[in-house]
Amino acid sequence: MHNSAHVLELNNQLDNDILAAMRKPSTLYWFALAVCLFVVMIGGALWGYQIVTGMGVAGKNNPVGWAMYITTFVFWVGIAHSGTLISAVLLLFRAKFRSRFNRSAEAMTIFAIMTAGLFPLIHMGRVWFFYFVMPYPNQRQLWSNFRSPLVWDVFAISTYLTISLVFFYVGMIPDFAIVRQRASGIRKWIYGVLSVGWRGTETQWRHYNQLCILLAAFATPLVVSVHSVVSWDFAMAILPGWHTTIFAHYFVAGAIFSGTAMVFTLVIPMRKIFHLERYITLEHFESLTKLLLITSLIVSYAYIVEFLLAFYSGNPFEKSIFVYRATGDYAGLFWIMVFCNCVAPLILFVKKIRRNLVVLFIVSILINIGMWFERFVIIVSTLSHDFLPYAWGLYKPTLVDTGIVIASFAWFFLFFLLFAKTLPILAITEVKEVSAKGEHHA
Amino acid sequence: MREEFLFNSEEEFCAKLREVSQSGVDRRKIRTITPYFVYELDEIIQAPASNLKFFTLFGAVLGFITGMSLTIYTVLSWPLITGGKPFISLPPFLIIGFEMTILLGGVTSFLGFLLIARLPRIKDMAPDKEYGNQFVIVVEKE
Repeated sequence: MHNSAHVLELNNQLDNDILAAMRKPSTLYWFALAVCLFVVMIGGALWGYQIVTGMGVAGKNNPVGWAMYITTFVFWVGIAHSGTLISAVLLLFRAKFRSRFNRSAEAMTIFAIMTAGLFPLIHMGRVWFFYFVMPYPNQRQLWSNFRSPLVWDVFAISTYLTISLVFFYVGMIPDFAIVRQRASGIRKWIYGVLSVGWRGTETQWRHYNQLCILLAAFATPLVVSVHSVVSWDFAMAILPGWHTTIFAHYFVAGAIFSGTAMVFTLVIPMRKIFHLERYITLEHFESLTKLLLITSLIVSYAYIVEFLLAFYSGNPFEKSIFVYRATGDYAGLFWIMVFCNCVAPLILFVKKIRRNLVVLFIVSILINIGMWFERFVIIVSTLSHDFLPYAWGLYKPTLVDTGIVIASFAWFFLFFLLFAKTLPILAITEVKEVSAKGEHHA
Repeated sequence: MREEFLFNSEEEFCAKLREVSQSGVDRRKIRTITPYFVYELDEIIQAPASNLKFFTLFGAVLGFITGMSLTIYTVLSWPLITGGKPFISLPPFLIIGFEMTILLGGVTSFLGFLLIARLPRIKDMAPDKEYGNQFVIVVEKE
């Protein structure tokens, strides 16, 4: 066949182009890494200061005992969600555009959970007693209270981290074998060990394919359960504005929405920096944008339903908290949230804009901001304005908690930068597989 | 003695494999190495379905039992009424049972995969010969 040599050449070219990202980093990369590391160190110092001085420096106090930290915890757990969605759910639905985003999305998931997991610890105050939440035999014969949503969180988040790590690693095994072939010296050994001796024999591929499907089948209900559990941290309390049955699905939709936005925020610059224009095309972005648009509409719908539920509840406290959200002390943040999550994404109905990466990038940043404010509005407005007017009070952020929140972004980007230089940034074997079949089914 | 065929594309590889397979060579004597998963492959050589799902089932059932027994055992070992709820409060315990099902089911699947795919293979971590993006058929002959 005349074109078979051409196919081989194309596949070799693909290996070269994607692995080119792993070459010696540029000065700009080192600079970005240094900035992230510096900000993380400042965050660490602020946390140390908080531990030494006491939780008062974090600005949360009666009545607002959950503030920036829990907001940011929920935000990062939400970011994590889209990674699993893009890799697992789209695998089960055989959506071919997934192969362009799944690696970065899975990496994003893991780094986001690692970031999210820090916040309960920071929020805890006496962090050295964190093991109290784990069930372990002790001489006091005390066990965790399994009826508490906070314990469900421990199980949900740690399961999520473990399964995401397994899924991420399994997806990379054949790619490690490719890196191994092209590396030399100590790197050859490291990637050789990571590839667990993968050859690509028929038996290996058969079991591997089955494993991916089984893991995806586990990850799909898991992703729904994790953010449901996070939402129940709120919904299980009887506070107005929290105690509602729509919280689970509302949070899951919001999580997928914010996570997909973060995939855009990460992949658009990555594509440019590593010259992946040939592999991640505008069509791929357009397919993913549709997911962003639909989840935005679901989130907008949930906001409306939430208000209607409150107004039809006949409960004055419930009504009052929603009026307070839209017109009270935090109304500015509420309207930023509405603009970023409900109004701005509507321009994605225009096909031309779905293919305009600059606009997409800006919209994705707006959504990230909007979704952070969503959690802030839900948490802080309810706590500052509950049943007893005598106990109302406002929350004001301080340098310490704001600093730690900003540092968490640096921490996340630090790991993503390390990922981009050490692991294959695109699922190479999957891209080859999809290309061989022709992508017109995508 | 062994015969080795190298191909640059999936089509040529599948055509040759079909030919070898139909010529009556025993399935166990044919070895293939491909750069990515080829759907037709299992069909051509009539490979049995993967048994991995039994590991998954075992892990998932074990996980569910672990989750439920952990919660029920601990609540009965120090029976203290909290929130006026029954000791064995199934709805919240099911959440722990569910998470443990997924955790052990997923981890067991991965370990089962390593076992039945005979991985890790130390000598293949740095093999003598790599085939890159070529498709390989090896036919063992006595």
